[in-house]
Amino acid sequence: MAQLAASTALAPALRAPADPERRAMLVFIVPAVIYLLLLSVFPFIYSVYLSLHDAKLTQMARKKFVGFENYVDLLTDPLFLKSIQNTAVLTVGSIALEVILAFFCAKVFLSLKENRTGQVMRSMAILPMMITPICVGLIFGYILNPTLGIANYLLSGVGIDGPSWFGDPAWALPTVIAINVWQWTPFMMLLMLAGLVSIPSSLYEAAELEGAKWHHVARWIELPAIRDVILIGIILRVIDNLKLFDIVYVTTRGGRSDATELVTFFTYRQQFQFFKVGYGSAAAVIILLISILVTTIAVKYLRRMQK
Amino acid sequence: MNRLSNTLKGATALALALSATQAMAQDWNAELGDYAGTTLRVQTIQDPFIDALKGMTPTFTGFTGAEVTVEGFGYDPLHEKQILSCSQKDNQYDVLFVDGIWLGEFVDAGCIEPVADRVAAADPAIMAMDDYVPSFAGQASWNGTLQCLPIAGYWHLMHYRKDLFDAAGLKAPTTFAELAAAAKYFAEEDGDPEMAGVAMNFQRGSAAGQNFFEWIYSGGGKPWESNFPGSAEPYADQTPLFNSPESVALVQFFKDMVPFGPPGVESFAWDERANAFMQGKVAMINAWSVQTPMFNDPATSKVAGKFDVAMFPHAEGATSVPPVGGWVMCINAHSEQKDAAWDFMKWFANPATHKDFVLAGGPPSRVSAMTDADITAAQFWVPTLYESAKLAWSELRPRHAATFEMIDALGLQVNRAIVGEAAPQEAMDEANAAITEILTDAGYLK
Repeated sequence: MAQLAASTALAPALRAPADPERRAMLVFIVPAVIYLLLLSVFPFIYSVYLSLHDAKLTQMARKKFVGFENYVDLLTDPLFLKSIQNTAVLTVGSIALEVILAFFCAKVFLSLKENRTGQVMRSMAILPMMITPICVGLIFGYILNPTLGIANYLLSGVGIDGPSWFGDPAWALPTVIAINVWQWTPFMMLLMLAGLVSIPSSLYEAAELEGAKWHHVARWIELPAIRDVILIGIILRVIDNLKLFDIVYVTTRGGRSDATELVTFFTYRQQFQFFKVGYGSAAAVIILLISILVTTIAVKYLRRMQK
Repeated sequence: MNRLSNTLKGATALALALSATQAMAQDWNAELGDYAGTTLRVQTIQDPFIDALKGMTPTFTGFTGAEVTVEGFGYDPLHEKQILSCSQKDNQYDVLFVDGIWLGEFVDAGCIEPVADRVAAADPAIMAMDDYVPSFAGQASWNGTLQCLPIAGYWHLMHYRKDLFDAAGLKAPTTFAELAAAAKYFAEEDGDPEMAGVAMNFQRGSAAGQNFFEWIYSGGGKPWESNFPGSAEPYADQTPLFNSPESVALVQFFKDMVPFGPPGVESFAWDERANAFMQGKVAMINAWSVQTPMFNDPATSKVAGKFDVAMFPHAEGATSVPPVGGWVMCINAHSEQKDAAWDFMKWFANPATHKDFVLAGGPPSRVSAMTDADITAAQFWVPTLYESAKLAWSELRPRHAATFEMIDALGLQVNRAIVGEAAPQEAMDEANAAITEILTDAGYLK
């Protein structure tokens, strides 16, 4: 009896909506929901499922449930912990340099405004971010090769003994950061330039009347005005840096020693070199959680600032 | 006059090769199936022999009508692509070139169809299985079954700049001590600041890990308990010995060679080592014999005609155990053209075809090729290669399903020791512990 009552109560909800407007809404929403379920939700759930198993791609029939063992192993794996540390250093170091350099570049391009030279330079400045990261890695691999590369050859011309850029633990990660900064500073610069252009000229005129110097203008007018833009840029670049892989794959393969082992490279090796899909999936889930956490904090901070 | 003589020699060799091919043509037409209208796809490593391989395929097309496409990939990408394709039961490729050290993994995963039965059913004169060099032939088998054909064998040779050694009054090093002395001389005392002494594979990961396996036997050690040259059951007791006195001494020797290497040698892998030698930046390298023709090609190398090869050196009191590796040719277990794939393999591996392949720049795997007068006349390094092949040990590197992870873990610690992040003993203790865990997890250690 109770079952009958329940099924009667559910029936209207399951029935197709009579309202044509609601039906039209469903027609538009359902494809997006299916898309999300198939391409985002299902792979994520399957990753979590795999992360709870001791599984190898070459022996999937023999996989066995191990609960959270992969997560415990990861959090005690010195190489994984080192990869998290390296990723954090890379992310903070790259973004800090990009913000500083991008701000000064944006100021330069703002001063050139619609000048023909400025337009050409602006187009040239964004070229690095148009190059595929794997090609960027290869290009810098050749340039910075200590035996055959042009960088050390030029340095030797002025009496400087160039370092082993990717082979010296003191230089390996800073070199990867420098390549990353070279490629992505233009992106941050474009965002900041868009923000700077939108500042009313009256503010600049008032500052000029008050006798403000360039750093006063930057500190009290420009940076507050483009704060939101900078934060959005930082959020996007944090996500990018957590995914950075190509440059390391081509130039250092995580070395020298473990100096440039990033979380993505660690996960790649587990998944595609050792085919330990359970362990690798656990690492991927942890990266995703870190990414969600960092992004959520940044977005909350952005909203608070907007209020 | 020399040029004329060389031209005549070349024309004679070509005529001999053509006549040999024509002589075999009748037999092959009867032996091979008719596959007109089909395309056979071969997946291989992008090693220097790929052009020779591609150059041979039109002959097979002439016999069978089957088009043959050859696609090359880098080392790691090939491994990834083959395993991923296998997991998806992909039939895109029919013939797979597989590194001998991957064979255990591929057999466990069901990626290849064993060729033992096909070989047994074939004409023994065509297969000539006894003609393969034993130290490499062993890498085509796993679990006691012949899985593939051992088609492209590599052995390590010590490549040294004969012009520089002669000028300095030095002989090719035969021991680690002589190697160190020569390396020191060219790095510090020969008056050329651009010239380094020796370059080895020290890059973290596969490069450094494999480098260890390549040197450990000639260093008087062994990687695990039951694996030594001539061992009847090399996998019987896999208790790791990566922190044995011999292992630690070997890593210390690697570290000692760093100051005599080119700048950045700590991150050198196969290509960097070869490039440094070809650019004339280093006096000695140990390298796989597949690269030797490339070193001797004036189009790509500045040291063509200036170097010679010698046997792999050994530690005092030990004997030379030259590293052996290379590629075995397998039938993709998921291929839908297995008979055509087998016919291609049978034809390609045959001694007569193999000779043509070697003369075109491919690596020799057969005794008949290594002792062939045409080949030894054209490739001066082959007699030394044959001597190396006789001393090599087939199970030099692990070949089971945990190989990749094991070599990577070892390579990380060897590199740490080389760059001074850890003392050799400490690094190798960590390597031993990590490998013990890997082998235990994989079920190879109790």
